[in-house]
Amino acid sequence: MTERLRRIGRFGVRRWLPAGFVLLIGILTALGGSAGIGWPTSAQPSAAELHALLAAPGRDRILVAFDPDVGTYAEVRPAVRAAFAQLVRAGATLSVVSFTPEGRALAVAELDRLRRGGVEEARLLDLGFHAGAEAGLVAATSRLVPAGASGALAEAVRDAGGGIAAFDAVLVVGGGDIGPRSWVEQVGTRLPETTIAAIVPTSLLPQAVPYRSSGQLDALVAGVREASAYVAAVRDDPAASAAREAERVDDAAPSALPIIAGALLLLVGLADAIAGRWRRDAA
Amino acid sequence: MAAGRGVTGLFSADGAGTAAVWVAAVATLLAWSILVGARRPFVWSQRLLAGLLTGYLALIAIREVLLPRLLVPLAEDPGGRPLLLVALVLAAALLASRWLPRPVGALPVAIIIGATAAFALGGAIVGSVQPQLVALVPTSSGAGLLWGAVTAVIAALVLIAFLHGRSSGRVITALAGSGRWLMLGGIGAWLGYLALSRLVLLTDRLAFLTGDWLGLGR
Repeated sequence: MTERLRRIGRFGVRRWLPAGFVLLIGILTALGGSAGIGWPTSAQPSAAELHALLAAPGRDRILVAFDPDVGTYAEVRPAVRAAFAQLVRAGATLSVVSFTPEGRALAVAELDRLRRGGVEEARLLDLGFHAGAEAGLVAATSRLVPAGASGALAEAVRDAGGGIAAFDAVLVVGGGDIGPRSWVEQVGTRLPETTIAAIVPTSLLPQAVPYRSSGQLDALVAGVREASAYVAAVRDDPAASAAREAERVDDAAPSALPIIAGALLLLVGLADAIAGRWRRDAA
Repeated sequence: MAAGRGVTGLFSADGAGTAAVWVAAVATLLAWSILVGARRPFVWSQRLLAGLLTGYLALIAIREVLLPRLLVPLAEDPGGRPLLLVALVLAAALLASRWLPRPVGALPVAIIIGATAAFALGGAIVGSVQPQLVALVPTSSGAGLLWGAVTAVIAALVLIAFLHGRSSGRVITALAGSGRWLMLGGIGAWLGYLALSRLVLLTDRLAFLTGDWLGLGR
């Protein structure tokens, strides 16, 4: 009997506990029927601040410093897309630059998504990847537009100096090595008039919040809760009705569906266990 | 402006987009296989990630840095950009450092480290330390003043906690102990919040598998 229990413990319950946990999460998510990223959207002053900052008049030319981390981007992705939607709706142009390779990969994907979503090419400017980390950021204060960039927006930025000061505001999407801290330290000190807002995942929350408290960041949405509140603020904006699809985050799947994903996990484990048993038998 | 298809919206609806969704879904399942104790598929997914990352970094270095910012400008105007020639020599020295005398190979590394440290240190002092110290000084009144004072006291206690290995009196030792506990409390609260945020990432992946991949519930 004891041996039997031990075998169950080795190959049974204990083995499937993590997968069961995943299933439980999926079921809870589905039963909760959570929209968006599934977080309470109670009033968050920071979300309202970012919404107001991006809605302010004169925000026509926005620089998006896109350097999120691939692993945690999903946490702030709805907020980033809501910001894009708010800016596009307000008629702003978006110039996207990255200082990390990971950020560049995600920036290319998001630019492609914006183009597929119908944003006119003239309102988008791909400023590419700038090497050199913080040194590259400092260089970008005076020279940001690549030599090969063309179009009315690129020319307008060049005419305005060609650096970060040519933009009305900077939206920093953080998560990677170059985030709000680097922007405050390297750009904020050299161009103190620059308006800097940031959206960062929870992992950067303790690092970014002091800069908002000291006023070095003009707006900050940090972590899941604030990101969710910002998405709600954009979604509830009366001006959003015509373009509500733009920041749409699909509703959670019906209750049966996460179970299918969990079941697939179980199948992978089962196949591995059977293969292992066969190998042992063969040996 | 319409949203992208599916949860991530990063993939187009054509054949390439479908293939990308399948690759991402299979990679997700391979990574998750560790949850049920299957190590081999998990190792495959790790190797795939490492290989892709290495290839991508090489590609971005060649396509977006070396070619457009070094080699092409040099080819177009070899004599007009002397600094680029220096950069080319340093890059070559870094690449061949294994076969070069140590001082020569160390030169580009020293320049990289020195320049990075200079930018980081200068920015940290002017952009972080000074403004944050100023922000610590309670200037408002009422609740703001109280909160500012509490923040200043906590910051001071945590800074005192970093006085390791120095002989100090009982008062300083007690203050350092308080600062250490405050720091642990802060880190603990943040880690708890961080763990919860990871569940959101998990939910996002589940929604990707069921929505983007299986196409259910759309």
